[in-house]
Amino acid sequence: MSAIIQARDLKKSYGSFHALKGVNFSVERGRIVGLVGPNGAGKTTVLKAILGLTSFDGDLEVLGLNPETQRHQLMQKVCFIADVAIMPSWLRVNEALEFITEVHPHFNLARAEQFLEKTSIVRDAKIKSLSKGMVTQLHLALVMSIDAELLVLDEPTLGLDILYRKEFYNELLTEFFDEGRSILVTTHQIEEVENLLTDLLFIKQGEIILSSTIEQVNEKYVEVLVGKEKLPQAKALSPLAERSAFGRSICLFENKSREQLAELGELYSPSVADLFVAKMKEGQ
Amino acid sequence: MRAFKALLKREYWEHRGSMFYSPLILAGFIALVMLIAGITDSTVTVEGHHAFSFGEGVPMAMDEFEKMDAETQERVVQVGLTAPVILFSLILLVVCLFYALGCLYDERRDRSILFWKSMPLSDTTTVLSKFVTLVLVIPALYGAVIIAFQLYTMLYATVAAWFGGNSGVTIWAASGLIGVFVNTLLSLIVASLWLAPVWGWLMLASCWAKRTAFLWAIFPLLLVFIAEGWIFNSSRFASLIGERIATGFAIQNSEIGEALPARMSDGEVFNWINAIGNTEFWSGLLLTAAFLGGAIYLRRYRDDS
Repeated sequence: MSAIIQARDLKKSYGSFHALKGVNFSVERGRIVGLVGPNGAGKTTVLKAILGLTSFDGDLEVLGLNPETQRHQLMQKVCFIADVAIMPSWLRVNEALEFITEVHPHFNLARAEQFLEKTSIVRDAKIKSLSKGMVTQLHLALVMSIDAELLVLDEPTLGLDILYRKEFYNELLTEFFDEGRSILVTTHQIEEVENLLTDLLFIKQGEIILSSTIEQVNEKYVEVLVGKEKLPQAKALSPLAERSAFGRSICLFENKSREQLAELGELYSPSVADLFVAKMKEGQ
Repeated sequence: MRAFKALLKREYWEHRGSMFYSPLILAGFIALVMLIAGITDSTVTVEGHHAFSFGEGVPMAMDEFEKMDAETQERVVQVGLTAPVILFSLILLVVCLFYALGCLYDERRDRSILFWKSMPLSDTTTVLSKFVTLVLVIPALYGAVIIAFQLYTMLYATVAAWFGGNSGVTIWAASGLIGVFVNTLLSLIVASLWLAPVWGWLMLASCWAKRTAFLWAIFPLLLVFIAEGWIFNSSRFASLIGERIATGFAIQNSEIGEALPARMSDGEVFNWINAIGNTEFWSGLLLTAAFLGGAIYLRRYRDDS
């Protein structure tokens, strides 16, 4: 496996505010990585640095290129949909197809047309006449028709209704993703992507606090449904988080042996959302 | 090259209304008025001083025209052909002004800039495509519409001549039509290049402004005006800009200046050939390069998405 993104000591400050405090991580080929963090944690700054949209200190290599100095070469291999990447309202669908065909060396027009045939998007419609869901469908159709090695998604389903959101990720998995490509996605809707992800990156106040594959997470973190009588015993093992449900407690443990935990109650794999909440509250 | 053409097309798609339909509608409107005037036999005033009604005037005017010497005939026809350029060139200047102010601002205002930035295009290519649109595409489109209108004027005059019992051959002979076409087109393009520092400045403001690009373009200039008036008690900077724009307009309309008798134009005509030979033309382009460099830098490195 080779790293598609390699960040070493990545820093970024806005005045006295340190948005990124020396971040290290790497993204391998063929992975779907979720970059998760609360608002203001530095998610968008990381994505902007990767896409060459902002300056930064430290080392960052994306597909062997420096995003700051080799931005337009990089854009031949990288696609992105940002929540703010609104398509120009005056542009017509067929104009968008023509434009990308002419400027993008890796765009496959026939493929884009196939995708669009499955939607109700009219070819000579202006983008402003399409619904928000249709614009996202269009944008996704365009992006999936580019033979890119890395796809970056920043809150791609923001403001979409549930039908479009499900479809968005389904299409992405079935039509775009393969072992040669990677996807980096940030979203607030963790539940939506958690079955998709192969890797997790948690970011908090400009620092990466968790970087691991889903398999590693499932080994390392275990949730235990603890009955009342065993709660003191569970607490003695200093759980990462504790919450109650149906009169019993659910304790989340980090790096504890499964045999030891099994004595306390039933074991579960924590959801990404619960793990996220626990990690964000850790040390507070 | 293919990408650059696509970028020019993209500019045309966004602005085809002001770039192409505006002059087309203007030309169509004047053509229609001329047609109605001709058919209904109303009184038409040509070139400001040859008023005639179609029934009686045309034969008379044609007789008069035939009696003129060749040089006067040429002047009369060419004034008729080039006078409408004034109308088109005024609209052209306004369209270019708004285009330059909006071209690097609108994409940020409507937040589509990240879509454009997701394409493998350098900021240099993108900014240059907008500049080429200003100095080549828009003037050429206006030129093309004006040429079509000039052709219409010739046909119109010919048909009018037929009603006057004349073949109209002398009108065509006196028109120097190909020369008029070429000069019309080149006057508009060179004038836009002459005004390039104005466009460059507006594009820089367009790229710089967080909102109201117009104020960002005007405000620094006003500061210089005021400072100059206060310190030196003069207004040379303002007149420099005023003259630059006035000369640009003069280049656009140099053809009619040349066709009019010397007593009617105010002496010196500054045409596109004079402009290219002038050092101010080239120093202006140098200044434009600096403005565009600034715009490219801002678009590339500014982080306000």
